[in-house]
Amino acid sequence: MNRDDLALWALRLRVMLGKELRQLLRDRVLLAFIVYAFSVDIFLAASGVSLQLNRAATLVQDFDHSTASRELSSRFVSPYFRVDGQISHDSEAQARLDDGRAMLALTIPPGFQADLQRGQPTAVQLQVDATNSVLGFLASSYASLITSRFGLEQAASALGASGAALPVIDNQVRVWFNPNQLDSWFMGITELLNIVTVFSILLPAAAMVREKERGTVEQLLVSPLSPFQIVFPKVLAMTLVIVLGSALALFGVLQLGFAVPVRGSAVLFLLLTALYVFTTAGLGLAAATLARNLAQVGMLSILILAPMIFLSGAWTPPEAMPAWLRALTYLSPMHYYIDAAFGVLLKGQGALELWRSLLGMTLIGVTVFVWGLRRVRMG
Amino acid sequence: MNRHRILAVASKEWREILRDRLFFALAFIVPAFLMLLFGYGLSLDVNHLPLGVLDYDRSASSRAYIERFSASQYFTFKGYLCDERQAGELLSNNQLRAVIIIPPRFGELVQSGQPAQTQTLLDGTFPSRALIAKGYVTAINAAASLDNLARHAGQLGATPDEARRALQPVRLEVRYLYNQSISSIWGLAPKLIMFILIASPPFLTALGVVREKERGSIFNLYASNTSRGEFLLGKLAPYVAISTLNILILWALAVWLYGVPFKGDPLFFLLASVVYVLCTTGIGLLVSVLVRTQMAAMIVTLIVTLVPAILYSGFIIPIPSLKPVAYVVAHLMPAVYYTRIAVGCFLKGVGLTALWPELLILAGYACALFALGYRLFTKRPSA
Amino acid sequence: MSELPPLIAARGLVKRYGATLAVNALDLNVARGELFGLIGPDGAGKSSVMKAIAGVLTFDGGELAVFGQSLVSDAACEAAKARLGLMPQGLGQNLYADLSVEENLDFFARLRLVPPDVAAARKDKLLEMTRLARFRQRPMKNLSGGMKQKLGLVCTLIHAPELVILDEPTTGVDPVSRRDFWAILAELLAEEQMTALVSTAYMDEASRFHRVALMHAGQALAVGRPSELLAHAPGCMVTVHTEAQWPALAALRPQFAQLGALGNALQVYADGGDEAQALAAVDACLRPVLAADSYQLEAGEPELEDVFIAMLRQRGERLPDSQALTAAAPARASGGEPVIEARALTRDFAEFRAVDAVSFQVQPGEIFGLLGANGAGKTTVIKMLTGILPPSSGVGRVAGVDMRGAGRAIKERIGYMSQAFSLYLDLTVSENIRLYAGIYGLNRARTQARLDWIVDMAGLHGFEDALAASLPMGLRQRLALGCALVHQPQVLFLDEPTSGVDPLGRRQFWDILFTLARRDGVALLVTTHAMSEAEHCDHLALMFAGRLVADASPAAMKRELTAQRGPLWDIRCADPTAALARLRAAGVAASAYGNRLHLFAREDELNARVRPLLGADARCQLRPVSMEDVFVERVTALEAEKPV
Repeated sequence: MNRDDLALWALRLRVMLGKELRQLLRDRVLLAFIVYAFSVDIFLAASGVSLQLNRAATLVQDFDHSTASRELSSRFVSPYFRVDGQISHDSEAQARLDDGRAMLALTIPPGFQADLQRGQPTAVQLQVDATNSVLGFLASSYASLITSRFGLEQAASALGASGAALPVIDNQVRVWFNPNQLDSWFMGITELLNIVTVFSILLPAAAMVREKERGTVEQLLVSPLSPFQIVFPKVLAMTLVIVLGSALALFGVLQLGFAVPVRGSAVLFLLLTALYVFTTAGLGLAAATLARNLAQVGMLSILILAPMIFLSGAWTPPEAMPAWLRALTYLSPMHYYIDAAFGVLLKGQGALELWRSLLGMTLIGVTVFVWGLRRVRMG
Repeated sequence: MNRHRILAVASKEWREILRDRLFFALAFIVPAFLMLLFGYGLSLDVNHLPLGVLDYDRSASSRAYIERFSASQYFTFKGYLCDERQAGELLSNNQLRAVIIIPPRFGELVQSGQPAQTQTLLDGTFPSRALIAKGYVTAINAAASLDNLARHAGQLGATPDEARRALQPVRLEVRYLYNQSISSIWGLAPKLIMFILIASPPFLTALGVVREKERGSIFNLYASNTSRGEFLLGKLAPYVAISTLNILILWALAVWLYGVPFKGDPLFFLLASVVYVLCTTGIGLLVSVLVRTQMAAMIVTLIVTLVPAILYSGFIIPIPSLKPVAYVVAHLMPAVYYTRIAVGCFLKGVGLTALWPELLILAGYACALFALGYRLFTKRPSA
Repeated sequence: MSELPPLIAARGLVKRYGATLAVNALDLNVARGELFGLIGPDGAGKSSVMKAIAGVLTFDGGELAVFGQSLVSDAACEAAKARLGLMPQGLGQNLYADLSVEENLDFFARLRLVPPDVAAARKDKLLEMTRLARFRQRPMKNLSGGMKQKLGLVCTLIHAPELVILDEPTTGVDPVSRRDFWAILAELLAEEQMTALVSTAYMDEASRFHRVALMHAGQALAVGRPSELLAHAPGCMVTVHTEAQWPALAALRPQFAQLGALGNALQVYADGGDEAQALAAVDACLRPVLAADSYQLEAGEPELEDVFIAMLRQRGERLPDSQALTAAAPARASGGEPVIEARALTRDFAEFRAVDAVSFQVQPGEIFGLLGANGAGKTTVIKMLTGILPPSSGVGRVAGVDMRGAGRAIKERIGYMSQAFSLYLDLTVSENIRLYAGIYGLNRARTQARLDWIVDMAGLHGFEDALAASLPMGLRQRLALGCALVHQPQVLFLDEPTSGVDPLGRRQFWDILFTLARRDGVALLVTTHAMSEAEHCDHLALMFAGRLVADASPAAMKRELTAQRGPLWDIRCADPTAALARLRAAGVAASAYGNRLHLFAREDELNARVRPLLGADARCQLRPVSMEDVFVERVTALEAEKPV
């Protein structure tokens, strides 16, 4: 390729890129949706959700009415629990658990205090609404912590020893990267990644189908442009817009609104996003070439998007997946993107430490892109 | 209302859907595929967390302590580490989710009956996972600590069992209601049905109606004396039928494939599900009345159904975990009410007596959507 | 008819789309039993008027009554809808592509609550009449364009409405199917006492109607019987036969605003009805530049299209001056080699052979017309020659290079304009031009030069920053042509470049094509349905069912036809419908044309077989053969041999 060819290449890239950007900017509905998604939607996701056990409504059925029973039930307090009243009948507890007005019911048997004083082991019952298994687990876990501490204190005071001198093993848990387990960090970043994914599939697919429907793609195919020169500026334009949106979301919403840390390099994060959009755009283009009409594109993109988002590792830990499914996640570019994005933002990783993700993303991206390109040429 | 005209529109629509083979296939494949994929793949259980150990003590006690973790299903022991730097590295690049650090002289302290300390590092990237892992660590550590105490009490003269009883006089007996095994799929399957039935029918409906608009064949109906009601009923009937069939398919998958117990009244569940499908179809109708192009229909449907269905329906994030604004938003969507019905029917075995308010709300929602769609749909547009 | 209350009455009808005024205080009366035509260019407001009458579009002012009922509310419209049928614009737009012919019909019958036995009988009759009965089970999408329109008509008529409204039912339909369509419509209307409101963009279809309204810019320029309309702008048409077209054109231009090239002739429209005066005026212009024996003049009656253009001109509509073209770059050198060459080009789609061993050549500076019914394979040939579609076998060479492996270099020398004028509607005029200039690698200076040239050529002054979507169809089409010409290609492919464009735009467009071919030596390959345009071509190829069945100049084709079948006779008689029936019964192929009959016969044949069947009052006149006659005769003969 000599200098003239290079100049021609650059000129074509420039005019095609300009065309794509103008078209995008003139589609007001789409533009409004993009801005909404990168700002309000992410804000809502980050601010709306807390996955922690938060003041779970607890019913107390106290058959003992003693100092000890009152002492125990009084320990079910904020932040995890909130006692939502005393009840006297099983049926009442049942009813309130059934209709979801309460999550926990603690039953303290008669003779609770007496048993304790006699050194006789005793038991309290906790009914947990485990329809949400995570919360169910957390509730029982916190409740058992409360009872065992209560029991130990009772035992210690009965033995006349102070708890400190006992040969207990104390395990200090330190949570890294998000020490306070703020859901807003996780939800905000995850939603940003989801939105990036949705757009990087839908935008190029829509742009391609639109050219097909209007017939303008023929005009381009007749011109001396190569399929790559047709597709590349499209993807580049979408990438620019999405990266811009991501920057808006990262600095304007996540950092400003939720103090999400950017421990690594923000530039690296945006570059990563660009690489990811590139890889994923190939999938959208492929869907666009497979479908005969937009209705089919719509259904196909759900078929691609839903698994990508849910199996990305953000919701389901890869460790908990069956082996075959975990193997499949390695084929999803989002899997690498999530790792790398959290790596840069929360863990402060640099490009060198991310080589695995970068390599995976690039390999998948090039493969899919080339395939999509071949389909454009044939179609 | 004329039955024949409704039938004419409905059978035409049905034939068209049937002839677009890919679309027809996708109308059934997408829901079933999502059910299978999420059923097998989406697990909120936190198990087999990769665990690394930094053992500065290397004594029998430290090994026994570690053994308690690696023997549980919650952690998978990956190996010993050399130093904290390596621990940080492996946590950073997701090779490990938890690291236990045992200080020097741990065994000595434990053996001599003195308080000892250990440390756990957790990857907090996914906060709920970190919380659960924290719960596991606390529980396992508490058991270890108790055994240690009991052993020491034994040295003072009591049997370990007696000592344990004395030290832990109050036992907490936990009964998990509605989902005794806390296996995720039981809790998940009813919500998956909810999610799929809000993701797929509006999409089908909106695209179906807008397609007729975009092609121009809608003028046949504009120009005929078919009433708006007749047209809408006929047009939507096939989509409701497909979705009703999908209800049965999803229900069958949940019960037979995943073995989720169904404790409620099947008829009530079917009735409520159809009402819910009417709601979601109504959303599709409303979108299709408001937009002109299939592209816009796709995007708007995606915003108004999919995003709230994931975030605000109780699918992944429990409703009680929502903050006030989100809580209100959630209750403006039909998904929340259907979630209660589905979960109630499957896991709690409750029926109309407990769930009539939800059913009523859904029915009201459906009526409102259809009334709005009916009002906004015009056979004589201005452009 | 006038004593009966009108079936449709519009007074000062106004319809706006945002700031655009689509219908501007229109007055219109249609009487019961009338076949009423709305004729006019795209964007004249025809569709809006028809939709408002059908009660499927609101309007912003004036009064509109149908069946004597004022359409003031949605409810009033609903009441009228049981008695009318609407066929919206667009080929097969009101039909369902995946349903079969029968299923489509059944749907309409059930929707209209036609009792099953009545529906069955009517269906049989209509399908028989439209010759669709054989295709009952065929999915609508697999019908040809003409068949789709016939099916659309049948579906619209299934409930025997009192009023049918047909919006451009013949646009994009080939001439044979078009004639067929009109014949069926006329027959049905006569039989069932229906009233029909029909719009068309083809001026030559005016004679099909009882009365017509010439629409322009939301108003009716003239309303009346087709024969009366010519009187609205009296003028006559002078035909100049000469080899020296270019100098003749240059000489005539300053004097005559309305002129065009037609094959080897020029047509000049002269205002005023006096033929002698017109001939003298034309002669006065030509004498100084041409030798007296190098040209011949002939005066004749203008077509409605000419009159329409004259009316627009007289109302002060601006006709862009195509003389600006002379400022363009000089002609390229043109060798004797053909620039487009198809050798046994063949293309299969699954089971179906769309193009079957097609061969032809196009020389530099030649306008080559590719004709054929819908689905004959014209577009597929163009797609193969432009390299969009690889041929299954055979070779397509453009500028001496095989298009199959065509390098990018060859693509820089061809221009292509597709059926849909595929512009980027969300880009402005100059953005569209600059985009293509960039794609073809023009530098800054040349881009500016070409931009100016295109704006000039297409008459786009003042529209440079307007979105392409906001342009009227004619301007859009010329912009598309400009974009295809931005890199000054040697070869230009035009696929139905004038469908949906008004006559005025069509004329200017052909002016430009003519200049490109004659002066710049560009080779042009054009497909079209408008047979009046086929006359403009130097050379024609007729395609039928994927094969090339004729390849000659228009004159040669006409000569061949008259040699085979005798000359064309135009027959006026008292009762043309009855006469036609008698002729057909006797095995004479004749066709109805308005209230006249056309048939081919040698003179002896005419006297022996035809005259006795016509009655004493019949007048038979010789009529020049048009390309449409050639097309219809050839295709009808071929269809009889091998049904599609």
